[in-house]
Amino acid sequence: MKILIKILPVLFLMFNIGQVSAQSDDLVNVCALGIGNATYLKDYKVKLPANSTDAKFSVILNKGTVYKFVVCNAEGYEGKAVIQLTEANNPLVSNLKPDGTFAEAVGFSCSKTGMYNIMCGFKNKKEGAAVIIMSYVK
Amino acid sequence: MNRKISIVFSILIAGSSLLMVNCQGDNKTKKADDFTIPDSIFKDKPLMISKEAMNDIIGNMSSPVEMAALIKSTGVPFNQKYLASTSKVDKLDTDFKQALNLGIYGCDLGYLNMYEKTGSVINSMQAIKKLADQLRIGHFFDFNTIKRLATNNENIDSLMYISVSSFNNMDEYLRDNNRSDISSLLVTGMWVEGMYLACQVVKEAPNEQLRDRVGDSKIVLSDLLLILKNYKSNQAFAKLVAEVEKIKKEYENVTIQVESGEPEMIEVDGMLMFKPNDKQTVIMSDETLAKIIAAIENTRSMIINL
Repeated sequence: MKILIKILPVLFLMFNIGQVSAQSDDLVNVCALGIGNATYLKDYKVKLPANSTDAKFSVILNKGTVYKFVVCNAEGYEGKAVIQLTEANNPLVSNLKPDGTFAEAVGFSCSKTGMYNIMCGFKNKKEGAAVIIMSYVK
Repeated sequence: MNRKISIVFSILIAGSSLLMVNCQGDNKTKKADDFTIPDSIFKDKPLMISKEAMNDIIGNMSSPVEMAALIKSTGVPFNQKYLASTSKVDKLDTDFKQALNLGIYGCDLGYLNMYEKTGSVINSMQAIKKLADQLRIGHFFDFNTIKRLATNNENIDSLMYISVSSFNNMDEYLRDNNRSDISSLLVTGMWVEGMYLACQVVKEAPNEQLRDRVGDSKIVLSDLLLILKNYKSNQAFAKLVAEVEKIKKEYENVTIQVESGEPEMIEVDGMLMFKPNDKQTVIMSDETLAKIIAAIENTRSMIINL
């Protein structure tokens, strides 16, 4: 019986890992449907506990391309994702508007090829899970 | 006691099944030969850069779809002869060869999709699936859905999405599972092929934007070399690094200048958009461009003839 007690949490964890992965993949699929007249390039999955520091993703963006970033929040979490595109720590654009509301999508018209960062956290440092879809506008 | 053992055994089987459902990998064992990259190379020798930095660099590489989109935007028509032949796919018998060529075919798939050449997509996908299966990452391709979308010419956007996301998921899986060596080869193959396609178009129909993209790829090249050099204790990697170094050498004469602009925030179709209005200029002579093109062609030739 002791063996059973030891094995069950492991199995539960294994099952949960699969479930979480499947859920985030589903959210990517749903979120990708909402990119409108743009072509999917990459997706970023973010899941953060409360009071976490922001997740950071590096990406090379190309001159002459208009990029679109769409954010979708996972159900069952209080946190709403705040994304910010930065270049060398300089904030460029965010989905959090000055009035505290969220833009459904933000764009970036790249005029310089180089390394940029996508920062993602959750408003008021709440726990949250979200997917960011990066696409380019045709 | 026997009952307990039986319960434990049943749970273990159930657990294994769960794992298999989550990771429907191809368990085919690979033929071991002299050229297969031994795992010990990567486990025993410390990486020059951290695993996190490595994953970050691989993850930030531009999608080959962007290059394909840029090529199409020039108005240059589709050209089948630019694409790598998939006829030698069965002869690619090591992880190294398979991963590099998978990157090549992946980029070609983006080019085919961009021009809506759905008939050729199926042929390309068969080669991709074969290589991905051999690398034990074939489960990321929903071949039947791709085939259906391509055959029925149903929805090009969906076809593009499934193709690109399959490659992204595959790459993410490789990096998460300590197979960054394979991932770095995949990314290298994609980059080389994207550059090759751009160079062929520039040769036939000079286009300023595409020429600039070839020039500003200097920025990416250093990162690419950084990740490949991590594995250069392996002979095959060392040879590849030497080839890519030749491309880098030709880029020494390329200068990229940036003039900061007056940024503005505008609204386009209801979307808030940031325009930095910087002015990036690529200074590259025709001679330098010709040398870069030749170096890219040589590297690409080496990869597809492995």
